[in-house]
Amino acid sequence: MKSILLNRLMQAVMVAWGVGTLTFIFMRTLPGDMAYRIAAGRYGQDNVTAEAAELVRQELNLDVSPWLAYLNWLWDLVQLNFGTSLISGAPVIHEVQHQLGHSLGLAFVAILLSAIIAFPLGVLSGMRVGGLFDRCLLIISALLRAQPVFVIGLLLILLFAVNWRIFPVAGFGTPAHIVLPALALALVLASVSSRVIRDSTHRVIHSSFYTFARVKGLSASQTFARHGLRNLSVPVVAFMGIQLVGLIEGIVMVESLFSWPGIGHGLAHAIFSRDVPMIQGTALMMGLIFVCLNTVIDIACYQLDPRGRLQ
Amino acid sequence: MTPSIEVNELSIFVGQQCLVESLSLRLMQGTPLTILGQTGSGKSLLAQAIMGLLPEEMSLQGEILYEGQPLLTLPKAKRQALWGRALAMLPQEPWHALDPVMKSQQQVAEVFELVGGLEEEQAQDKAGQALAEMGLAPAKDKIPSQLSGGMAQRLAFLAATAAGGDLILADEPTKGLDYSRRDQIVALLQSRLVNGSLLTITHDVDVARQLGGELIVMCQGQVVEQGDAATILAHPQADYTRQLLAAEPSSWNKVSARTQSSAEPIVTLDKVALSRGGNRLFSDLSFQLHAGEILGIAGDSGTGKSSLGDLLLGHLQPDQGRIRYAETYKRHQLLKLYQDPPAAFSPHIPLGRLLQEVIDLHGLDAAQIPRLMTRLKLSEGLLSRTALEVSGGELQRIALLRILLLKPVLLFADEPTSRLDLISAQRIMELLVEVAREEGCALVLVSHDPILVEKVCDQVIRIA
Repeated sequence: MKSILLNRLMQAVMVAWGVGTLTFIFMRTLPGDMAYRIAAGRYGQDNVTAEAAELVRQELNLDVSPWLAYLNWLWDLVQLNFGTSLISGAPVIHEVQHQLGHSLGLAFVAILLSAIIAFPLGVLSGMRVGGLFDRCLLIISALLRAQPVFVIGLLLILLFAVNWRIFPVAGFGTPAHIVLPALALALVLASVSSRVIRDSTHRVIHSSFYTFARVKGLSASQTFARHGLRNLSVPVVAFMGIQLVGLIEGIVMVESLFSWPGIGHGLAHAIFSRDVPMIQGTALMMGLIFVCLNTVIDIACYQLDPRGRLQ
Repeated sequence: MTPSIEVNELSIFVGQQCLVESLSLRLMQGTPLTILGQTGSGKSLLAQAIMGLLPEEMSLQGEILYEGQPLLTLPKAKRQALWGRALAMLPQEPWHALDPVMKSQQQVAEVFELVGGLEEEQAQDKAGQALAEMGLAPAKDKIPSQLSGGMAQRLAFLAATAAGGDLILADEPTKGLDYSRRDQIVALLQSRLVNGSLLTITHDVDVARQLGGELIVMCQGQVVEQGDAATILAHPQADYTRQLLAAEPSSWNKVSARTQSSAEPIVTLDKVALSRGGNRLFSDLSFQLHAGEILGIAGDSGTGKSSLGDLLLGHLQPDQGRIRYAETYKRHQLLKLYQDPPAAFSPHIPLGRLLQEVIDLHGLDAAQIPRLMTRLKLSEGLLSRTALEVSGGELQRIALLRILLLKPVLLFADEPTSRLDLISAQRIMELLVEVAREEGCALVLVSHDPILVEKVCDQVIRIA
């Protein structure tokens, strides 16, 4: 347990450095004069003049050499100083903290929804592999997985918000607002995890320990509850850890699509307005969310499966 | 007295093929009944047929009566109601039959709770007691992968009989266990005879001999001999029974001694000691091994036989002492033949392609394959099949062929025949010895069977 946490902490440090450095390099290689873009972000597209850009350049020290800028940035990172937003002027850390809560909320609801969708469907089709239900589910999950998440989001908006007017189109505020973005993410996650659950169910219910539990005298439902669920969950939970990459990537698109004020939305905005410290801060935070969620998955696996603890 | 189980003219088919042909038997309380036969003789199907666990593609004819009541016409739910409560089935591979993530005691306690109707706490107490009586108290919080084969089998026995079943169907209960543990399980089975009935299915002649009672010898789905166990084993009538008895290691001929040569030994161990996980496995171990020589290592499981192999193959370093090789050998010149042949092959790829990959990887001559196939008495057609489609004995010979392609200097054979039936085991052991002599390969043979190593090896080392 201790070694899992220590390992993940090391990984968090490496991710912070790696993600930070990459975004730094990418930002520097973007075409166009950064001072003009920032000035446009601040004063509006029509009010950008050479003087305004020059002022921005002076104020933000934009003409130092790349190496010096990188070292300055690295030193700030070590001190956990993420700088201030070039647009709003507020410290990045405050902005990110604010967005982080919203993103984690969305991610949590999406994972929960995907489990609620995928578990029963996966178990049902795993019980009868090759049956009608199993084959239908395969087609549906392949179709869903083949769509980019924003297409699914758009379809959900068209159906549930525009056509039937059950949920709001986009925005934030009431619990109803979270339903569509979370569902869009959940459908993508569930389309793959339901297949993993199906395979895992098939393997478990045909294993000798499952038959032996029945032969011991346990009923079918007792056997499933005692020996089925836990054993089939082990690979599924581990797989969800791998799926998180997709979740993080999906969050950027879904938050932008639904104007959800989370970290992905913040990242997209920061990129459009060349708000470099915000970009670095949000990208860094997404990397760290990834490590954190993986740690949660590790701990869940550790609790579920005693076999890994022996070494 | 009504027999506990009566089987009349039972035949089992898959499609048109007959797997078991008109088998009849009567199992009486207090008299053990043993079915003896090689793998593939259809004997395990009988236990599955009695339980109602035959795979769906199989059909059966005939009649099975449990205490006079016909089983085959009974609705599924009523048959399943007998599971555990009346019919207790002991599984073939206890490690696989136990839930891999559940603690030992819980696996027994849940039966007392869910089937016996006890409160959870009482069920736990009762299971704890039962485990203690079996000498499993230290294992109560362990999971199956932490148990030895013997412990797992005792635990499976407790779990299988916890619901009160007194008719025990034991399907290969001693497979893969070493001698002392095998005898414990046999004694355990006998202890249940006073109030119950016992039907044992085994390929091990010794188990049949120890259990006594009635004996049925089966070969390829047919009964070849049936009657009193002691009589049959002392005076076998059928040819097949005679072959089976002749294949027991105690009836083997001692292999001819190696012609001594003055060549330098391939490997020399000098006062070697090894510990694993804080336990000293062995110390002060010294021996020399020459080309073509056969060294036997005997000892119960857990004594470090396999670790000694890892030392010889260079996977482990000794804590003390020295291992000296005649020259620096490449990794593929020091090889291992595994205990469980199916575990040593990729299951879904044709064997021929697996061999071809070895040839391609090492740039070997593919013409060796037909020669070795003939040498190992393998038919050409086998190579187009996968590991799951050939018998254990054939697969082990293909594993040996794969090793011989690489012209090994030293071959470490870890219980190469303990999962095979006697006749195939004897065939493999003979081939292994002959081939090692011919190819000038030093052979280290690990076995829990002291008689076997005594018969086959030039020198024997016992690890206690």
